[in-house]
Amino acid sequence: MQKEVTIALPKGKLGDEALELLGKAGLPVEDVQTESRQLLFQFPREQIRYIICRPTDIPIYVDYGAADLGIVGKDTVVEAGAEVFELVDLKFGRCRFVAAVPKQAAEEYLNSGQGFSYFDRVRVATKFPRVAREYFASKGMQVEVVKLHGNIELAPRVGLAEMIVDIVSTGRTLAENDLVPVADIFEATARLIANRVSYRIHHHRMQTIVEHLRLAVGNGGERQC
Amino acid sequence: MAKLMAWRVPEGVKDWLPGEAWKKRELENRLAKLFQQWAYQEVVTPTIEFYHTFQSVETMLEDDMVYKFIDRQGPVLALRPDMTTPIARLTVSRLLKGQDAPLRLFYIANVFRYESGQAGRQREFYQAGVELVGAKGPWADAEVIALAIEALRSAGLEDFRLGIGQISVTKRLLAELDLPPGEIQMLKQAMSKKDLVKLEKILEKAELSPGQRELIMGVYNLHGGNSVLQKVFKLIKDEEARLDLENLAEVWEALQAYNVADQVFFDLGLLRDFEYYTGVVFEGYAPGLGFPVCGGGRYDNLLERFGCSCPATGFALGIERVMMANPMARVAVASPPDYLVAGANHAKVLQTAAQLRQAGAKVEVELSGRLGPELSAYARSKGIKEVIAIGED
Repeated sequence: MQKEVTIALPKGKLGDEALELLGKAGLPVEDVQTESRQLLFQFPREQIRYIICRPTDIPIYVDYGAADLGIVGKDTVVEAGAEVFELVDLKFGRCRFVAAVPKQAAEEYLNSGQGFSYFDRVRVATKFPRVAREYFASKGMQVEVVKLHGNIELAPRVGLAEMIVDIVSTGRTLAENDLVPVADIFEATARLIANRVSYRIHHHRMQTIVEHLRLAVGNGGERQC
Repeated sequence: MAKLMAWRVPEGVKDWLPGEAWKKRELENRLAKLFQQWAYQEVVTPTIEFYHTFQSVETMLEDDMVYKFIDRQGPVLALRPDMTTPIARLTVSRLLKGQDAPLRLFYIANVFRYESGQAGRQREFYQAGVELVGAKGPWADAEVIALAIEALRSAGLEDFRLGIGQISVTKRLLAELDLPPGEIQMLKQAMSKKDLVKLEKILEKAELSPGQRELIMGVYNLHGGNSVLQKVFKLIKDEEARLDLENLAEVWEALQAYNVADQVFFDLGLLRDFEYYTGVVFEGYAPGLGFPVCGGGRYDNLLERFGCSCPATGFALGIERVMMANPMARVAVASPPDYLVAGANHAKVLQTAAQLRQAGAKVEVELSGRLGPELSAYARSKGIKEVIAIGED
């Protein structure tokens, strides 16, 4: 009998897009919901099980082997720093990591004619302290990273920080809060990640799923979020 | 509050309680016996060494993973982050002179790494392992792999698998690519981290011919039994890489002779660490455990850094990980004594206890003066099978 494969899916919109892709790849997705009270969906005939998790927890489930595979944004993978295999760029859930400052500060920065080190020693509010620290360290800058859990755009307005590092998809939230991007850090899309032991010992089963997902991505998997 | 602080231990370290500690001791004893039967001799190295010893080695360890502190005389010391490096130092400086190769050494020891709370990682953990120094060729590689399999078996694991790779094949293929060192480094990183997305992006950017790209990805994704080696052999033209593959085929033959070939598969994407390893590498996997239970391989360049060029191979097995993977060992129960001996006549009590112990029984002596029903109740609560109450006469 083949092994049951556990796939961790994120709650919400990203999870729904993941399900759409899984369906296209020929995996069973009937009645699976990412926003219900039910967190576990089983397909005994196909030996597939889905678990619905908070996106930030998905690398952890996969790292420990509680899930064999997971679908989650590259932003979350980088921030978690978990030891997982990154197998396929699923091309949806596209968003950018940016550093942004209030409009007025951005104008002053542009007028100053200085490089990005103009912002050396600012306070940076973010949900992604690892990404922020690595980025500024790579620029040789020393900033104070303030870790917050949500509504990052509020921080500069009340004087908690001068800059934010956050993910943006359309940029609307930034504009509404009078914030302007001053640096692109990297672009993130959803990824298929795998537990390193599952991937090796159940290689053929995993590889089949990987190949099907790859094909599904190739066939018009590209969408903007 | 003061008491609560006094109860704490630093992050990443733990106490071993009765039962659990005994299971660990039993496992270590079984492994020590096995290693000895394969003619490996135990060595013990100091827990603290000069930091310099580990610094001179390019390992998979990041510099900030080593616990460092300063000796009163000035030099920087380190808690050993692995055992292979101290054994390489010890071998070159003290053992290798005048001895016939090969040397077979084993160890069971705690090592220390500043890990940031990842899956299955403690900051102090126990390893049992062997080093086979001064032997090269497929039979040496196979001996260490077969011993790793035997070690996992004797630890009570059944359903485990060993993945075997050959790092020099990939090294050769990368060297053939004629790319700048920076890009090779990035490729190696993406490969050992299994970041396929990044790997494909780098290969795309590098403007390789489709043939080159297919070769790299084809070899990297090869996985399976002996037959996959034939497949790679057809793909690869490079002479040295072909020799490495032939070596791998011979390792397979040797493993068949050891009767363990059923437990292994080839995985040329298994690379462990590029700088440290030089040939055959392997990892052990147990079902239900998200991280490898053992790992090792050939490291022919390490001893040279201590002043003696000498081939070597070995493996280390994670004691805690093996215990986690073995459901029998996971439930740790301290086994109760066979007898409880009590009575007012201390001389007689102790004499009886001594006789029983001589016969091999586990004996507890009553120290609190319990008698009658109280004594029986105590024995029941402790799970002691038999109570011997000794009268005055």
